[in-house]
Parts: sequence; C-alpha cells; structure tokens
Amino acid sequence: MTRGTHSPSHTCRIVPPYLLARIAEVDDPNWQHAAAAARASLLRDDPFRSIRAPEPHPHAPGVRTTTKPGAVANSPQRTVSTAAGVEKLPGKVVRREGDKPSSDVAVNEAYDGLGDTFELYWEAYHRSSIDGNGLPLNATVHYGKNYDNAFWDGERMVFGDGDGQVFNRFTIAVDVIGHELTHGVTEKTVGLQYEGQAGALNESISDVFGSLVAQYAKRQTAAQASWLIGEGLFTAEVQGVALRSMKAPGTAYDDDVLGKDPQPSHMSGYVETTDDNGGVHINSGIPNHAFYLAATAISGNAWERAGQIWYDTLLGGDVPSTATFAVFAAATVAAATARYGADDSATHDVDGAWRAVGVVPAG
Amino acid sequence: MKVVVTRSGGFAGMRVTWQVVIDNLPDASDWVVLLRELPWDEVADEEPQPDRFVYRIRLEPLADAEPPQAEREATLAEKQLTGPWRELVDKVQDADTPADPPAKPHPSHQHK
Ligand SMILES: [Zn+2]
Repeated sequence: MTRGTHSPSHTCRIVPPYLLARIAEVDDPNWQHAAAAARASLLRDDPFRSIRAPEPHPHAPGVRTTTKPGAVANSPQRTVSTAAGVEKLPGKVVRREGDKPSSDVAVNEAYDGLGDTFELYWEAYHRSSIDGNGLPLNATVHYGKNYDNAFWDGERMVFGDGDGQVFNRFTIAVDVIGHELTHGVTEKTVGLQYEGQAGALNESISDVFGSLVAQYAKRQTAAQASWLIGEGLFTAEVQGVALRSMKAPGTAYDDDVLGKDPQPSHMSGYVETTDDNGGVHINSGIPNHAFYLAATAISGNAWERAGQIWYDTLLGGDVPSTATFAVFAAATVAAATARYGADDSATHDVDGAWRAVGVVPAG
Repeated sequence: MKVVVTRSGGFAGMRVTWQVVIDNLPDASDWVVLLRELPWDEVADEEPQPDRFVYRIRLEPLADAEPPQAEREATLAEKQLTGPWRELVDKVQDADTPADPPAKPHPSHQHK
C-alpha cells in the first residue's frame, strides 16, 4: 500500500497480555429464538413447494441430523434489510423473496449470496437452510459506518460497507456469505466452541463451505477453484489477492501496512495467541489446508465427496464441542469410512491430508 | 497516561491498535473524568460470537507521572462496547489520527 503517512511504525506494537479464556456455552439463547422463528415459518402458509426430505444415504451417519422427515422448503426465504449506516439491527426491509433486484448492489449481492448458499446445502447435501428445516435467511447490509466486518448474530447475516481504504463492502465475495451462514450450521450441529483449536475448526468449517458455495455457484472443480477466501474484499491499494488461501495458507496478502498473511498450513506453525479468541482466524489455516489437500487428492468437484465427508462429520455425532484438530480429523476419517468404506481411496486421501498438515487423527 | 485500544477478531482476524497520551491534551480533564467513570470492574464475561470484534482497553501509566498513575485493563466483546466504553473508543480513534487522515479506523493493522 502506498497511502500517505501510514507506516507500520505509526502505532506501538504491543504484545497483548491476555484475553480472558471464555468457554462458549452450547445453549445459546439466540438459537432458541431462531428455532422459534423456524417453527413459526413452518406454521404459516408455506409459499414454497413442499417435498419429502430425501432418504438418508444408507451408509451415512445420521445420528444427529436435524432434518426431520416430512415437508421442508426446497427454496430459500430471503429478506434483505438496510441499516443505512448505523449499528442498529434489523434495519429497514428493502428486498423480500421474489422481489425484483434493487438498485443497491450490496442488497443484490446479499440476496444472491444467500441464494447460492441455500443452493449448495440443498442440492449437494439435501439440507434445507441453516437448521435443516427451512429457516428464513435474513441479512442486513450497510451496517455501521466504515464497518470492516461481516458476522452472523444467530438470527441474521450482517455486512459492513468496509472503510474504502483497506476493505471494500463485505457482500462482494460470495464465500464470505457462505462462511457466515455456515457458522449457523455449525452451531446447529457440532456446536464447536469459538476458542482455541475448536474455534479454529469452527472457522475452518465456515471457510470450507464458504469456498464450496463459490465453487458450486461457478461449477468449478477442485483443480479449477481459487481456494481463496474473501477475494475482492481488499481495495486495489492493498497488496494481496484475498484474506485467506486454503491452497497456500500464509500467501493471501503481503502488504506494507497490513503485514503478511499469518496463517500456518502445518501444525508446526500453530500460533499461540490471546487475540482473536486464541487465533481462530489464524490457525484455521491448518484444517483449511487439510480440506484442500483431501479435495484435490480425491479430485473432481470438491463439494461432492470431500464436501460430503465434511458435512457427514458435522452430523455424525463424533465431534464434541471442545474438539481438537486430531479429534475432528478422526471424525472425518470415520465419516469417510461410513460413507465410502475403509478401503476407498477417498478415505485414504482424507487420512493422508491430515497427516500432511501434521495432524494425526486421534484414536 | 496512555490509553490503548486494541481490536482483534472480525472476519479478517486482523489486529488494529489505536492509542493516545492524554496528559498534555487541552481536554485532559475531560479524559480523566471519562476514564474514572468507566465501570472497569463490572465487565461481565461474554461468550465469544463468531467473527465479532474483541476490544481490549488499557491504561498505561507514564513512568515519570506524579502522582503515580494506575494501570487498568478491560476486555469487552463488541456487543459490550456501549455507553461510556463506546465514547472512550470513539475518542481514542479520533485522537489517534495521523496528519493525513483516511477514514477511521485507520489501517494500523497488525498481527500477534
Ligand atoms: Zn467466521
């Protein structure tokens, strides 16, 4: 970056003394609200075609699936609102399901991204929305002023416009939208704590399915995909292509002001820090790269076998909320074995991918 | 007294720091009142929310201050950044603006 007076020396670099280690409780009250909203939507006259939920795959682990047999919505129910530059939710509704495109590009990107995310989960895994039960998808754009973030608050996706100096608007990359909604899926299934290795797994699962949303929308094979997270999110002033790279963690950006992408691709580079809930956005590089290695070894479309194995892992009941990388790795191998068999090349590829990033599947 | 605000987390997982030494500012007494009124010991533990920011707010005493200044620190989830806490963070961000200011938050991003 070449902006004026900015230099890394402008601020004093402080080693953070600590961040209180906090343990997430699995029973988030937000989810009770979300579950209630889902039930309410099912009680209303459903404008969608209702179809039977597909039978589970005979070899699929189905212990903790949240998809109930019976009618589930097979198309999204989207509502996009605008916060019009303040930090207040939900804001004013600007586009409902089926409405014509808005003149506001952020509104349309959010609407389309929610649709792309719904599509991946439904078409690839027969999951109807975040909860498997057609939960309406709500988003708010233009949150705050110069707000450099996007998040899922348990009820809705929230997007900032970025500061225009470092970040563009956060709706610009569809994988960001898939990432945020996947936090909802993770919460509904494995409920991983957002701290330490469990938190990095939580982050990685969002990057994995966020990337698969983008790959599915573009119908790209594992070999064709960029495996970048947040491509286009940086302004032209930043020396970097994206926020993260699953293909080559640590290489997404290297900027005079921002510094270098800090993600490790191997356990030997695991970062101990008290920032960011234990570096959840940094250490996610390790499981991200394992998924990339598995998907490219399996080859073809990543959402098919590799994605199915990761999805089965979320539903399989083998992942505790405090899972370490090794425990999660073992659960992916178990899920691959359950679906494809112990001797299938996909199962070997998954096992090999974890070992290649320095994670030995536990047990 | 130096006031240091560090923001970590967020989707990007980048750390940003803003800081200001208040002692010689024309409105130093306003700062002192605000800092004294902050509920430093009443910040509840908040469970982490995915991709939300985490704010660490720290008072660093100056070595040669007379009388000696107290060191204080609080860690707040983004949701907890309301009222006087928000006022303080806004003030620090405004005060820590370089000569050629871009929009805040200015990009003194850093890691670790
Ligand atoms: Zn996330």
